[in-house]
Amino acid sequence: METTFNRRLFAVWLVLVGITLTYLWIDHAVGGGALPKTSSAVTVAAICLALVKVRIIMREFMEVRHAPRLLCHLTDLLVVVMAAALLGAYAAGRLVA
Amino acid sequence: MIATASGTRVATAREPRHVPGQPDMWFFVLFESLVFTSYFCVYLFNRARHETAFLQGQSHLILWLGVVDTIVLLTSSWAVACGVQHARAGRYQAARRDAILTAACGLVFLALKIVEWARLIHMGKTFTSSQFFQYYFFLTGIHCVHLLIGFIVLGVLVVQLSGEHRRSQVVVETCATYWHTVDFFWVLIFALLYVVR
Amino acid sequence: MTRRSWRSDPKRELWLAWYATVAFYSLYTVVFFVITRIQPPGKPWYSPVQVTEWFAGRHDGLLVGFALIFVLGGLSATALALITYSIRRMSVSRAFAYSYLILYAIAAVPGFLFICVAMTVGAMRPDRNPAVLRWLYDFGFLSFSGTMGVFLVGSLIWMTAILLDDNRVFPKWFGYLNLCNALTEVVVAPSWIFHGGVLAWNGTIAWWINVVVFGLYTGVFIFLLRQMILREDFGTGPLPDLGLGGPAGQVLAEAAS
Repeated sequence: METTFNRRLFAVWLVLVGITLTYLWIDHAVGGGALPKTSSAVTVAAICLALVKVRIIMREFMEVRHAPRLLCHLTDLLVVVMAAALLGAYAAGRLVA
Repeated sequence: MIATASGTRVATAREPRHVPGQPDMWFFVLFESLVFTSYFCVYLFNRARHETAFLQGQSHLILWLGVVDTIVLLTSSWAVACGVQHARAGRYQAARRDAILTAACGLVFLALKIVEWARLIHMGKTFTSSQFFQYYFFLTGIHCVHLLIGFIVLGVLVVQLSGEHRRSQVVVETCATYWHTVDFFWVLIFALLYVVR
Repeated sequence: MTRRSWRSDPKRELWLAWYATVAFYSLYTVVFFVITRIQPPGKPWYSPVQVTEWFAGRHDGLLVGFALIFVLGGLSATALALITYSIRRMSVSRAFAYSYLILYAIAAVPGFLFICVAMTVGAMRPDRNPAVLRWLYDFGFLSFSGTMGVFLVGSLIWMTAILLDDNRVFPKWFGYLNLCNALTEVVVAPSWIFHGGVLAWNGTIAWWINVVVFGLYTGVFIFLLRQMILREDFGTGPLPDLGLGGPAGQVLAEAAS
């Protein structure tokens, strides 16, 4: 059982690193580097991917998976609140720009 | 379900659910996450209003360096998560080694951050030079303060895992919970400062 | 709980101190936000002429409000004494209590009194040289917002005492809330450099978000001090629960079972 757990943690680490490397691909896809341009799609994607990683870290590394349902719900609610707040702030800023 | 030599049981899906570490630390995690979210919202709101200026500032950052920073901290989180598993199973030597590895990753991250800041300051990009860099140095700075506190927390963790009479699985898990918070704050900061366009 | 007449109630002084604490923080809020209107803070980028207008618009409020503070501000000592008492009741060394007491007593001078004096001096003679008025304005706001080092260390002392305490005087989550409060002192540090923007002394981050955290923190510790007095048994061991226990821990512990 110990080995399974360690394999699971390693798999989780791989997934998180993979998502992180996706950022490089996104940046390359929008022609990052010399002349970066504004892009709502990239912004929204970047925020969403980050929140996916946060949830994975909470559920796997922080062991929320094995926690009482209240804590599971609270952490999920936190991710939802963060998503709404971050995307909302960005949208609001673009509206008043 | 597996019983180890010390009598602790490894949690499986059928085990009673337990709060990892002190519930009190989870209060801190949730509260501080909301505080950081408010900082991020202020940043995103102002960024969306001055997109060109922020983009210009951001172009001086090196994305792959940010990626390396993130991977280093993810590795540190992985190490401390393994440490918690080992401690729970009674393998305290392994757990202690994991805690030290976590701290080592933290130090690597700190060194990379200092190099990055030095490079930017050398280029003339400072705390007061532009709006973007005001946010950059503020967010990475306050994150670094949390990281430094994290080193103290890891110290407590290593002490817990070293002395036989001190071992408390609750304290071990509490310390790990704090460190993971430092990691996931960086995950968000990285996305917001380095990737967002 | 049996009712006792207040004369023979051994907790009489503690309750007096607690009510004085509530009175002090209420006075502070009303004076700073309503009477003098120095909070939310004035803008750091104001020219000397704008600062003169700022003082003129608050002339009577500044004089009346701070007169109240100068007379009743000593109530802040009871808040400090009660918190020090709570740290003494803990199982940790008395050094924690004495350090906290000294630090916060000193911090009150630059962090609280200076702005009261500076603003009163500014309001006293409205025909003062505008450049001098702006000096007083800067001096007041910077000393109020910027002298955070002492409060930072004080919060950390209280936090450490709570986390090490075996007598369960305060729940551990309040210890961590002290850390959150201490970090707001770090966040306000850039206000010394910025004349505008989110990190200035009136900025969204350095003031507005910080005030929310500080306000919550103050409300929480006033409540927890009350809980402590209710639970106090004048012993040296762990404080008995009221049957409720720490709120967050209790809810989560129950959900765990």
